[in-house]
This record gives sequence, C-alpha cells and structure tokens, in this order.
Amino acid sequence: MEAPPVTMMPVTGGTINMMEYLLQGSVLDHSLESLIHRLRGLCDNMEPETFVDHEMVFLLKGQQASPFVLRARRSLDRAGAPWHLRYLGQPEMGDKNRHALVRNCVDIATSENLTDFLMEMGFRMDHEFVARGHLFRKGIMKIVVYKIFRILVPGNTDNTEALSLSYLVELSVVAPAGQDMVSDDMRNFAEQLKPLVHLEKIDPKRLM
Amino acid sequence: MGVTCVSQMPVAEGKSVQQTVELLTRELEMLGAEKQGTFCVDDETYHTAASTLGSQGQAGKLMYVMHNSEYPLSCFALFENGPCLVADTNFDVLMVKLKGFFQSAKASKIETRGTRYQYYDFLVKVGTVTMGPSARGISVEGEYGPSVVASDCWSLLLEFLQSFLGSNTPGAPTVFGNRHDAVYSPADTMLQYMGLFNKIRRQQQGPVAGIR
Repeated sequence: MEAPPVTMMPVTGGTINMMEYLLQGSVLDHSLESLIHRLRGLCDNMEPETFVDHEMVFLLKGQQASPFVLRARRSLDRAGAPWHLRYLGQPEMGDKNRHALVRNCVDIATSENLTDFLMEMGFRMDHEFVARGHLFRKGIMKIVVYKIFRILVPGNTDNTEALSLSYLVELSVVAPAGQDMVSDDMRNFAEQLKPLVHLEKIDPKRLM
Repeated sequence: MGVTCVSQMPVAEGKSVQQTVELLTRELEMLGAEKQGTFCVDDETYHTAASTLGSQGQAGKLMYVMHNSEYPLSCFALFENGPCLVADTNFDVLMVKLKGFFQSAKASKIETRGTRYQYYDFLVKVGTVTMGPSARGISVEGEYGPSVVASDCWSLLLEFLQSFLGSNTPGAPTVFGNRHDAVYSPADTMLQYMGLFNKIRRQQQGPVAGIR
C-alpha cells in the first residue's frame, strides 16, 4: 500500500512534503563528451564531479497488491559518506500540461548498517546495480549523466558489466509540494540541451 | 559525545518521584555542578502490522524509534537484540508513509525529561520517566566527555557517579560488554535508554504512578 496521495498542500502533520520533479533522456556513449562539454558551459561553475554509487532496491510485501519500495544507495568512491535511503511515491497524475514527472520523495541519510536494518524490518532486496557518472548543478536543479552496470555476483561491486551502450541523463529538482513553476524552469533548461539530448517526462507505468 | 552510563534511580523511601529528583539535583548542585538547560529522550514503539505477518512467516517484531535532544537532527531506530540505525529526522516522515506496515503503539510512548548539569568534563542528566500522564521512575545519565573508549574511563566515571548516587550507583552497562576497546557511540547510549524504558514498562503500574 502506497501512502495516501500527496495533494498540493506542502505541509501535512507538521512535516513538509517534498516532491521530486524529473525529466529523463539518454545519449549514446560516443555523444557523451559533447554533452558533458555543453553541460559544463551551462551549469554552475564547479569542479567536475564524478561518482560511483551502489544502489539496492528493497521491497516489503504485505497483503496489499503493490509492495513498498525503498532505495538504499551508498558511495563506492567516497569513504565515510552516509548511506542514502529514498522513498519515491507514485507519480502525481494531474495536470497534463505539467512538464515534468512529479512524485513525493523522502530522503534520509543513515548509518552504515542500513541493509541489516531493512532486512530486520522485513524488507527483501529485489535488485541492485552500480551507477557511474557525472554530476552537475544549476541552482536547485541537479543534472546527472550516468551509466548503469549490472552486478554479476550479488554483493560483489567489482565485477560488473554495462547494461547498455548509452548513458542515462536525468534532470531533477527536489522542492516542497505545490511549486509547479519549477517544472517550467526545468523545461527551459532542457530546451538548451537539444538536440544533444531530448529530456522528457517518462511515465514509468507505460514502460511496464 | 563521550562514554555514557544510563541507569535508573530508585525512588527514595516514603518520597515521591519529584521529591527524589529534587534530592538528587540538590546533591549535584552542592557538588558544584552547573545547570545547563534541559534534555528529553523519547521512545515510541512500532509493531509489524498483522497484514505483513502472514507472508513473512515470522513473529511480529517490535521496533523502537527514539529521539535524543542531545542530537536534535537525528533519529534512532532499534530492534531489541538487533541493529540500531542512526538516521536523520526524515525517518519519522518515512514511518508515516509506512503506516500500513508498521503500527505505532501510541499507549507505550515513553519519555524522560529533566535538567542537564555540567561538572567540568562530566555531564549529568537527571530525568523523570513518564508514560502518558504518569511518572514511572527516574533516569540518571552520566557522561565523561573527553573519552570515547569505555575501558579507558569506566572506573573514573563510576567514581564520579558514586559521589552523588552513593549506594544507588549502577554496575558497568552491558553495552560496554565484550568490546572493551571499541569506540563508544551515541547509538550505545540509545541502547541503554531502550533497556531502561523496557524495564520500566514491565514494572507494574502501581505505586509509582502519579506525580504527587
């Protein structure tokens, strides 16, 4: 059972509901350099940042039809960074004019024993992967260009193979609920990346 | 954050909870400790909802979600005899989302509130443990700031506790256990509080109830 749908009200029960606004696209490997070059020019001036993350997706099955999904992510190249636990709700079906995919999101930083704790709660790991790529920022927008690697032996993050010959590009913003002008800013930024990459709102349900 | 010992102070003969707390705080003030604000440690119990039990084939587990005013941006989640997760306060928001799978046992929410006293390198917190409207006991927490290795400073901490607790001084906490040279962490303090709260929960609801 997913949590009750989050409405336009940003505050429920004393906590602010944060929403993730998302646009996705992809580029073939050989176009990566030009995209990175364009992003370096458009985005905030900072040291080029790369990352290698290991993400595990956990499911909690109850009597309800759909299991509860939690994503646990840890950095493989930054020692001492906290683990990141993320809950993503169902995409808000609303305004067809809204330019980005909007879903409720809860981000929690945790200690390293997260996987043991989740197992104790009853969660079971559904799948895992390694993401390796580049990170850019423009104001509150985050642009990530990364490649997904399949883990061949469960738990062994050294032995991986690329899932495809392309890089996934994601433009996202995490903002309080009700701030729809954010998706306009995102669309304007996405326009600047054309024709290198076409970022669009992709409904996950239509892919399944 | 240093090595900490959490213990329960029995209520003095013929006195109420509040009076015993006052006796203790007076002892501390005579020792020369300075009052430094207040503290609060709370604990809420969650149990696995009946709907998830069938598919897992395991007995319902109790999960404790605790907060400590000493670490205001953190949330501690523990299972008895299980791992202790240290997370940020968004974990509470997640528990709201998990309402269908984990139900909060509102009646068993327990907390301890009181004053913080600083005495040189030591920090002492004397709190009244309450469950709902009734006072159920007294918690005493003693911390030796400079050290994070229990085996290095336990005897010093014990001696300090004896100076105001007298015969009510506790033995070495079980969290110090076998890991003599391990680095002490806030999660160990929360484990001690969980143990204390569980002991108080199991004590009969009788004579100690009610703040007189």
